[in-house]
Amino acid sequence: MRVLLQSTASGILIGGVYALVGIGLTIIYGVMRVINFAHGELLMLGMYLTWIIFTSFGIDPFISIAITIPAMFLFGAFLQKVLINRVLNALPQNQILLTIGLGLVLSNLVMLIYTSDYKIITTSYSSSTINLAGLPLSLPLTISLLITSVITGILYVFLLKTDTGQAIRATAQDRDAAQLMGINVKRMSVLAFGIGTALAGTAGALVSPTYYIFPQVGGAFTLKAFVIVVLGGMGSVIGATLGGIIIGVTESLAAVYISSGMKEVFVYVLFLLVLLFKPSGLLGRSRM
Amino acid sequence: MKSVGRILPPASGFAAVQLLVILVVVAALFVFPYLVVNPYVLHLMILLFLSVAMGESWNVIGGYCGQYSVGHAAYFGVGAYAALMLLQYQHVAPWWGVWVAIAAALVISLLIGTICFRLRGPYFVLASIAVAEIIRLVVLNWKQFTNGAEGILLVDIPPLKVGATVLTDWLSKTPFYYLGLILALATLLVNYLVQHSKLGYFLQAIREDQDAAHSLGINLSFYKNVALAISALFTAVSGVYYGLYIGFIDPASVLGVDLSVQMVLICIIGGIGTNFGPVVGALVLVPLSEALRANLLSKVLFSLGVVKETSRVGGFLKENLAHAHVLIYGILVVVVILFMPDGVLGFGRKLIAQRSRPFSAKPTSLVGGLDGSA
Amino acid sequence: MALLEISHVFKFFGGLAANSDIVCSVESGMIMGLIGPNGSGKTTLFNCITGYYPPSRGDIVFKGQRLNGLKPDRVCKLGMARTWQKVRPLAKLTVLENVMVGALARTSSLKVARQAATHQLELMRMEKKANVLAGSLSIGERKKLEVARVLATQPELVLLDEVMGGLNPVESEEIIELILDIKKRGLTQMVIEHDMKAIMRISDRVVVLNSGEKLAEGTPQEIVRNPDVITAYLGSARVA
Repeated sequence: MRVLLQSTASGILIGGVYALVGIGLTIIYGVMRVINFAHGELLMLGMYLTWIIFTSFGIDPFISIAITIPAMFLFGAFLQKVLINRVLNALPQNQILLTIGLGLVLSNLVMLIYTSDYKIITTSYSSSTINLAGLPLSLPLTISLLITSVITGILYVFLLKTDTGQAIRATAQDRDAAQLMGINVKRMSVLAFGIGTALAGTAGALVSPTYYIFPQVGGAFTLKAFVIVVLGGMGSVIGATLGGIIIGVTESLAAVYISSGMKEVFVYVLFLLVLLFKPSGLLGRSRM
Repeated sequence: MKSVGRILPPASGFAAVQLLVILVVVAALFVFPYLVVNPYVLHLMILLFLSVAMGESWNVIGGYCGQYSVGHAAYFGVGAYAALMLLQYQHVAPWWGVWVAIAAALVISLLIGTICFRLRGPYFVLASIAVAEIIRLVVLNWKQFTNGAEGILLVDIPPLKVGATVLTDWLSKTPFYYLGLILALATLLVNYLVQHSKLGYFLQAIREDQDAAHSLGINLSFYKNVALAISALFTAVSGVYYGLYIGFIDPASVLGVDLSVQMVLICIIGGIGTNFGPVVGALVLVPLSEALRANLLSKVLFSLGVVKETSRVGGFLKENLAHAHVLIYGILVVVVILFMPDGVLGFGRKLIAQRSRPFSAKPTSLVGGLDGSA
Repeated sequence: MALLEISHVFKFFGGLAANSDIVCSVESGMIMGLIGPNGSGKTTLFNCITGYYPPSRGDIVFKGQRLNGLKPDRVCKLGMARTWQKVRPLAKLTVLENVMVGALARTSSLKVARQAATHQLELMRMEKKANVLAGSLSIGERKKLEVARVLATQPELVLLDEVMGGLNPVESEEIIELILDIKKRGLTQMVIEHDMKAIMRISDRVVVLNSGEKLAEGTPQEIVRNPDVITAYLGSARVA
């Protein structure tokens, strides 16, 4: 029973980070209808940026987020303007191939510069645990869940209460109608990709104290991000949040009860099941 | 399908010329190893044949039918593992083992088809990746069966005998050259036959507009599965060929997403949905990646004096450009999608069309442009 | 027995009744006009009939066979073909190849299909465009192509969905003649149109839909004088 609670708890912790990744992806899809296969690589970039800041300036990863978020946002905006914008009206297959190519370029550029050697960020609290109701929980992951909750909360407020946020949601619901209402949909696309990138990068920063950092680390996250987004419903931020937690818990339980090497298999099988039986996801489409 | 896959106008005189050219080229290829014995050149040709075979196989489901599987490594790897495991552990000769490989690939393709073909567009791509990853992870973790991450190292291949005469003992590159040539030609032939058959018409109809095709009496799931089966079959055989030639396979090399992307790349660089597109794609990719691997690019830059070998940049290039071939793949994908979505052949056709009709009132778009409409 | 029997067909999308208790019989050899304001459920009915999706309730009986839920390809093989409101050319194929795809529903021989397709194109007077890519045709040509393609499947019943939409008067006239010619060949047709003059000329009977329900049925002359129909259509009829 303890094991069940423990693994569920750590699943929720990592699920929070997954949720952040999924939310970023779903916003990108919701607003631009683009399937971003480079999303995991954006997370990887966030990890490396955090590592660079940590090793060069000694700034703690949870604090350097203040730098990582705007930096990744700007990078995402840049990517959108230069690359993604050109394929907004292309065949979905071509969009997918473009982002796959982008992902390959990003991960291999990093490999070229930093080699494939695993990097780690060790802070004083990297392996600390805190006790919650008798369960030992990883301290860095708990902190990251807290930060994730704050960021998600801010995001919800932004999307629901601010003009820009509502403009983004309007564009996601009906691009043409939004444009007719005077919303600059091009700007919304740039914003969406920027936000999505920032969220992915932040997720990377948050897990950097607890994960190995290497150029190919993004790959597994990309596919998982898609599972989360499909599970929650393409375009639904709430769905991605829930989906992230579900996937985190599934993975954690699979790792404990079956095998660590096979935990991803369960996530992918769940993915196929969802695609087969409820492709619109738990919460349906296009509702932010 | 005159519109797709031909560069010259459809006059019968030209068709005869085309056939003659093809026969001459094929004859030359058959004679090639007698004239050129350099093993490295033979190795390059073998890689070329393998790439052509992989690309042509993918083309049937991706190019003609429009279902972009980015998980084709599943068939390649399953084929390779089936044949090599039988050879290494059960001493079953590969000419029998290949049939098991084919059967395994067909079973998997039927499974994948049934699950994934009801999904449209991007969902299908995602599902195909997920299935390939599941297979890779299972093979990776099933250590007792597949030797996991250590892979399978082939000790030797039994000599190929007809009666008492030994045709080859597989010890030089030459038998692999001919095997590869036959494989590549076979896939080209299959592509041609598919294109000029009822199957080809239906596959292309499905690609162009699935709902319209459905309403014209085309059983979508049947034809998609047929296309996938043909594609899976030849991809699996390519995997067996690879395993026998290289002598070593592991989950990363034969079941990875990189490989799946490479297969797609071979097709889109040349021109998707055309008979010769994958050939062009292979002709671009193989020399490029080999040049990188062998540090040829760096050597050229050094010998030209552009970069000094002992300088920091020079050292960096020498160290790292060899590993950059995947980076180049990525850049190529981006460039092709942005500027040449119909590949080199499509781009070429567009140039020819524009040159011969400079004042067309209505542009006869032979290529689809980025948005897929003409 | 009628060729096509639509019996108390309902189609719901969530809470919306796109088709509500539609009853209609199409006799062999006739042209049935189907009219109604935008959003009245005409295309939905076509989609239900041809198997694009099954009706929520009710029966669709074609040549004595209950069709409900039969997939579009099987429906086509049984002898029913439809065109699309928004044309669907197979863009990267030539005009001839487009029609051949239709012809291949009835034969496995490319040679036979090519002959049949050429014949259809000649009937449409489009044979000169045989080797042009479908994607580069004008809207009028695309509509004719779609009809040729559909006829190549050798249907008994043809469903035409706003085949005159977006055409100029000359092109529309061509289509009207085409429809009458198809009738002479012995085929049955169901035609969705907004062009009232055209409907009057070609239809043997007319069914009027409004907000998913059948509002009226009768000869063109009866329909045009029906007060309910006039009210429903006020301002939206295109009396060219």
